[in-house]
Amino acid sequence: MIPRGAIALVKGTWASWMQYRGFFFVLAFGWMVPPLIYLLVWSTAAGEGAPVGFSRGEFVAYYLALIVVNQFTYPQTNWTVGDWIRGGMLNTPLLRPLAYIWQVLADEVAGKVVFMAFVVPVSAVLALVLRPELRLTPRAGLLFLPALALAWGLRFLWGLWLAMLAFWATRADALLAVQDALTFLLAGVVAPVALLPEAVRWLAGVLPFRYMVGFPVEVLTGQLDGAALLQGFAIQSAWLALAYVLCRVVWRSGLRRYTAVGG
Amino acid sequence: MRYIKLIVLFFQSSAQEELAYRANFWIHLLHALLNLATGAAGMWILFRQVQTLRGWDFTAALAILGVYLTLDALRGLVFGPSFEALAGMGQEVWSGNFDFTLLRPLDVQFLVSFRRWNLYALLDLALGMAVLGTAAARSGQPLSLPGAAAFLLALLAGLAALYAVLLAFTGLVFWSPAFTFTWVFDAVFQIARYPVDLYPGWLRLALTWVVPVGLMTTVPARALTQGIPPEILWASLAAAAALLAASSAFFHFAARRYTSASS
Repeated sequence: MIPRGAIALVKGTWASWMQYRGFFFVLAFGWMVPPLIYLLVWSTAAGEGAPVGFSRGEFVAYYLALIVVNQFTYPQTNWTVGDWIRGGMLNTPLLRPLAYIWQVLADEVAGKVVFMAFVVPVSAVLALVLRPELRLTPRAGLLFLPALALAWGLRFLWGLWLAMLAFWATRADALLAVQDALTFLLAGVVAPVALLPEAVRWLAGVLPFRYMVGFPVEVLTGQLDGAALLQGFAIQSAWLALAYVLCRVVWRSGLRRYTAVGG
Repeated sequence: MRYIKLIVLFFQSSAQEELAYRANFWIHLLHALLNLATGAAGMWILFRQVQTLRGWDFTAALAILGVYLTLDALRGLVFGPSFEALAGMGQEVWSGNFDFTLLRPLDVQFLVSFRRWNLYALLDLALGMAVLGTAAARSGQPLSLPGAAAFLLALLAGLAALYAVLLAFTGLVFWSPAFTFTWVFDAVFQIARYPVDLYPGWLRLALTWVVPVGLMTTVPARALTQGIPPEILWASLAAAAALLAASSAFFHFAARRYTSASS
């Protein structure tokens, strides 16, 4: 643990990220649009009186929370770690007297600050325009925080082990596109998980993707009762543990294979 | 004639460049299939819950997805990659290499629009047309010759509008060379995956008059599945022509701001 070095890393990375904030704001805008489209389409459906189980305002609340949570847990380092490995830039952090994971975390924290600086105000404005309906209970609010933290950890580690497959295959980043598609379908972006068809809903409950985005939002909006909450947290933690183990294994064996290209 | 010969040459040289990396074909196929699958699944999940929404059912929504994929493929085939060479960090306007483009004895708009081709987009085009075929077959009404002609004309108007708007967005690069304005448009264009009728009124106005997304996908999809009155067809052709003229004028005006880069 070298917190001083780590803080310096975060500061340095953040400064370099802020240099390109326009670029990152555009990225964040692009990530916001798909959930925003489904927000509008579903709330139109509910507004027309379609029997979908959610009211218009509930859809707005669900999706606005989803936009913020999605951005909060989205690990942009997925993409950068693969690039570092492919390009041989990994040499530099490997030579530092600080574990590489600190660099990854520094990127993550710096990026999060920049992205949230865009997404939170925009969502707040949208909330003013679209009038969400949220009956927030203290219990839901309290449980949301651990659910969000676990979701972040899971998505971060899950993306990390996938990105580190770049040690073996240069085009491993294609898998990240599959991961994004599955997240879109199963994590509650295309529709709240409760509205998915039976078989897909089962799949969403078992696979890790719902626990990266949709689950904390469901907790916050009070869609889950006691048993479902408990089960959700259990599955989320199990996937988190597995992702951690995968990361350790892939990093260790990958590093042994790593032969620097360029520098 | 000279311009047609040049287009053939541009196509050949892009193809040569591209064919050096054949494994990219599989990656591109994967991305195209994921894009199709997530799009179709989104429609399916929505229209499982509500049979029709403001006059749109699953078949009509498939038609709009087909139009969206087809237009997106045509953009990716030629003017998308060509414009991308211009805008953003490290690209022509930013680096000053636009000097060499301006110096060629050709119309600058022609050159920046048609010089780069992406062969793999033909794959996207095939998928988009397959979706259109499925939608036409499902709609149950035999496609008459005038109906097909109206659809093709509406699609052409949509393509022209898409090109014009992208050209205008690209022209903004002369004010801010490092900013990728086309990415902003990419994000907005995703809204065209759904009929404009499904969005709230204020957004529908913006999508008709500011970024005419409705003209691009909603009108052609209507023409395919249920036919459109001739005055709508003429209006969209006229609007597309006006957009083309305006954005071309804007681009030439913007390009006059170019002052080359220092080194």
